[in-house]
Amino acid sequence: MKRNTFYLIGGFAAVILLAIFWYSDETHTPLLITIAFLVAVVLLYFMRKRVKDFAEDERAARITEKAALRTLQVFWVLFCAFSIGAIAQILQEPSFPPRELVPVAQRHTPEILHLRSLGYVQLGLLCLTIFLYVGFRLYYARKYGEWETDEE
Amino acid sequence: MKNKIKVYRAMHDLTQEDLAKAIGVTRQTILAIEKEKYIPSLDLAFRIARHFNVSIEEIFQYDEEARTVAVD
Repeated sequence: MKRNTFYLIGGFAAVILLAIFWYSDETHTPLLITIAFLVAVVLLYFMRKRVKDFAEDERAARITEKAALRTLQVFWVLFCAFSIGAIAQILQEPSFPPRELVPVAQRHTPEILHLRSLGYVQLGLLCLTIFLYVGFRLYYARKYGEWETDEE
Repeated sequence: MKNKIKVYRAMHDLTQEDLAKAIGVTRQTILAIEKEKYIPSLDLAFRIARHFNVSIEEIFQYDEEARTVAVD
């Protein structure tokens, strides 16, 4: 398989996933998009292994490694900050009287843990990770001479 | 890490593409090494040296001043 064919299939997969996401939302079946996403990633992984003209040598591997490491370093700090905030909010909730005995209207619910907010924050962190990775990749690619030109 | 790859390529009448193919890397990697933007692994350095039938020291010269810059 050629690289461009792989990118084309990747594009189609994204469109199909978008359609499944819409269907999943309409029919209130979040499990469908979750499974579809996992299946798509696994399929793309195996397809990528069949691509012949991906040229990856040790310099390219080094760029990927450095970018991934830096992304992880930034991501865990942000994720940790968010998690600590969430835990702090959970601890704010009084342990007495027991939650079950408090009327629903008077229950204090930590805002950061609202299901809707949590999903958006996770999505935001995911998008940030992608941007961080692309940014670091560009930085290290430039550092290791990706766009150097020669007279030859 | 200073190197004489360009000189040896010229001596053997090789293009960057030729050398890259011969040692199994991309042309961009050869270019990056020549421009001292990337320090090759010991394995790659050996392959380059073997390709030109010389020792590693003949092609690569350790540069103490550039070491701190290259670390990160």
